[in-house]
Amino acid sequence: MAIKVMVPGSLRSWFGGSDEVSCEGATVGHCLDQLGGRFPGLKDRLLTPAGEIGAVIIFLNGDNVRQRQGLATAVSNGDEIGIVPLAAGG
Amino acid sequence: MIVDDPRSHFIFVYHPQIFQGKKYTVRQGRELTNREVLDYWGKWLVFGAKDRLDELAKALDPYVEAEKIPVIKYDRAPSKNLGIEECVFMVYCDYRDRDEVWKILTEHGVKLKAWVTERETMELWKPGGPLLERWLESQNMNKVTKFLIREDAGARLRYIHEHPDEAFNPWQQ
Repeated sequence: MAIKVMVPGSLRSWFGGSDEVSCEGATVGHCLDQLGGRFPGLKDRLLTPAGEIGAVIIFLNGDNVRQRQGLATAVSNGDEIGIVPLAAGG
Repeated sequence: MIVDDPRSHFIFVYHPQIFQGKKYTVRQGRELTNREVLDYWGKWLVFGAKDRLDELAKALDPYVEAEKIPVIKYDRAPSKNLGIEECVFMVYCDYRDRDEVWKILTEHGVKLKAWVTERETMELWKPGGPLLERWLESQNMNKVTKFLIREDAGARLRYIHEHPDEAFNPWQQ
């Protein structure tokens, strides 16, 4: 199940210099787990020590996952996850 | 019409009649109420370097003039005090029209799909909200000024929630 993850230029360094990567998983959280294995330190940047979404907004197909089931939001083949700095939401 | 006043952090793309009193929180000829703004108003976020966003603003200006896009606002410079390293370009519209607006954006090369509701934005900027507090921290202000800013933000947000049926009045920026 291929999920596309897109980030703005300012977060590229967190993803090995790419603004678009792919991953697999059944939920947003699974996808982040998988990406965390590929990009060291990524999960610490995205999530709080309690494992909640931290200084970023995470979108699934354009919608903030906080308005769905957060990290437990289910993903399907072809979905797109977007990750942007929290401050951009202002 | 692109309004680029160097005294403002933001550059705006408005309908040309904005200074004759035309409002942009309007849908199908009727002004949105405070409740409708909370329920439907929001923005697509676009990220990039200032020169690229200047070009995008020029390309989208005709859509604002044609009332396909209500209003656009973008950073003159990255808000580094809020931890952002590139400019943010905000394309506002009603949720019920957002797919049409997204289609326009994709035709102009936007790929990252990020919709933020006005309600979410207000949560970030309410007293104690992460963005208001971070912004206050970054300013060289005394405690009294910070207190007054929090009070003002709280009062504006309370007013919106307590007067759901009044026409929404956008804040000066």
